[in-house]
Amino acid sequence: MSNLWFLYLFFAALLIFIGIYCLLTMRNLIKLFIAVEIISKGVSLAIVSTGAVKNNILLAQSLAITYIVVEVALVATALALIINIYKKNKSLDVRLLSKLKG
Amino acid sequence: MVIQILLLCGLVIFSGLAILLKDLIKAALSLAVASLFLGIIFFSLAAPYAGVFEISVVAGLITVLFILTIALTKKGDEVNEARVVKLAFPIFFILFLLIDGLVMKSLLQKIPALPAGPEAGNFGEVLWRQRTFDLVAQVGVIFAGVLAVLALFRKKEEDKDE
Repeated sequence: MSNLWFLYLFFAALLIFIGIYCLLTMRNLIKLFIAVEIISKGVSLAIVSTGAVKNNILLAQSLAITYIVVEVALVATALALIINIYKKNKSLDVRLLSKLKG
Repeated sequence: MVIQILLLCGLVIFSGLAILLKDLIKAALSLAVASLFLGIIFFSLAAPYAGVFEISVVAGLITVLFILTIALTKKGDEVNEARVVKLAFPIFFILFLLIDGLVMKSLLQKIPALPAGPEAGNFGEVLWRQRTFDLVAQVGVIFAGVLAVLALFRKKEEDKDE
């Protein structure tokens, strides 16, 4: 079971890497948000798989559900913010947000 | 074991597609498929409630929100990404894969999994009795999200009145 745990952590780390790579390199705001979602999937996978291995699956499930609820509230707020940014700038290019500097 | 690895590979492949596909609708759908894979993995880990939430809320609701946003920002996919990003992705991915594999292999040999006692009760008891504060926080987060969305769109209406 321990081997399986490291396998899950391995894939969770891969998901977090994909998300961070996208966050560091992409320019489209929606793509950046998709990256945040991918990172959150990696974290959820790590939480639930660790719970399953440590015989604490009930606690892990409740934490995962709390995490999903927080994720939904975050997505709703961020997407509303993206729509407002698009209406103002007529673009989803994150580089245009540098106008906010100073 | 083989099925688990296939599911995990599917999850990583569709997550990769979600960032590599240029069409945002296809990217959002890839993300939904990745959530579906994650939900099935949760089911296989004996976490059915988390699996149901993952499939219904993340694969369903969040995908709908993404597609709605993409529809409202029609010209959004005209953002030009740097070409190097997609070309360099496989190189960095393979590099990270190797490092990740080596780290996990060394952890597997050196750090034993900590023992933990079995849980008592059922999911309802754990969620409602042990994690009551989490539920209060969840309600707070939902209200904060609703108020934030209302505030963001109310500001626009005030601008129109002016």
